[in-house]
Amino acid sequence: MFQQIIALMVIGFFLARIFIQRKNKQVSRTEFLFWLIFWFLSAMVIVFIKKIDILVADLGFSAAGIDVLLYLSVAALFYLIFRLRIKLEKIDREITKIVREIAIKK
Amino acid sequence: MNIDTKIFCIIPSYNEQDRIKKTIKDVKKIIKNIVVVDDGSSDETYKKAEETGVTVLRHVINRGQGAALQTGNKFAYDNGAEIAVHFDADGQFVANEIPRLLKPLFSSKYDVSLGSRFIGDESKMPWTKKYILFPIARLVNYVLLGVKLTDPQSGFRALSRKAMEKIVIEQDGSAHCSEILYKANINKLKIKEVPMTVIYNEYGQSLFHGKGRKKGGIQIIKDLLLAKIIQ
Repeated sequence: MFQQIIALMVIGFFLARIFIQRKNKQVSRTEFLFWLIFWFLSAMVIVFIKKIDILVADLGFSAAGIDVLLYLSVAALFYLIFRLRIKLEKIDREITKIVREIAIKK
Repeated sequence: MNIDTKIFCIIPSYNEQDRIKKTIKDVKKIIKNIVVVDDGSSDETYKKAEETGVTVLRHVINRGQGAALQTGNKFAYDNGAEIAVHFDADGQFVANEIPRLLKPLFSSKYDVSLGSRFIGDESKMPWTKKYILFPIARLVNYVLLGVKLTDPQSGFRALSRKAMEKIVIEQDGSAHCSEILYKANINKLKIKEVPMTVIYNEYGQSLFHGKGRKKGGIQIIKDLLLAKIIQ
């Protein structure tokens, strides 16, 4: 119970931050919505962690619900890094195009 | 195509202040239009190349050999080149072999002419390259790109105008060698390999290292895989 309260407080902190950032127009509407949904879902997971334990056990996993969520988040992080790598590669190519234009125009 | 064809020799160079003048001097005996692309060198390469009176383009930051070659290709193409010859600045290639490289293109039967270290016996290649690196590179080219040629990483090549148009180099680093072969293949360009000599020096690339940006065997494989995914 105590751990859940701590986790919800952390989520509350990040939610407050994203609202402030949106108010100061530091994040776009899409980004705001993404994080809002993300933290809301995280809060739901924390609140219903016991139910998730049962669900995970029913699905045949031997680990607790929180462990399975951790595995899933590692997989999600890998995916995000991969997306980032591709985005960087594309930016890299754009930089080369600019450098090329400068070289030829000079 | 005849001997009066507008031929441009593109020399990408990165920190080659000690060798660039000699390379230009050697190539000048064969080809009049020389385009040196200084790839953001931190030494006197740009100045030394300019002193020779040839066209020198400068990348404001280092982008890699593939990027420099494409800059040269674009410049040559925009200036009406019929053939572009790629020639390394580090003194590993032999300028006197350019006519042999150009011969297939003059016949109009071929669009791409590639120097190969595995035809004839003119290069004294280190055994690590001959028996380890190049067989791996050939396998990678075949598996990833479907290209089957004797020399997977040859930098000595000549492209016809049609080939320049079809092959736009997007690989900034050393993976451009494989990319060129791949694009020539998918665009059904006719390729001819000719024997070439390579004088190996300490500046070549290995499995992990190389001079400049995005060099080395492992980096090439990484770049090719990434390009495949982005596609």
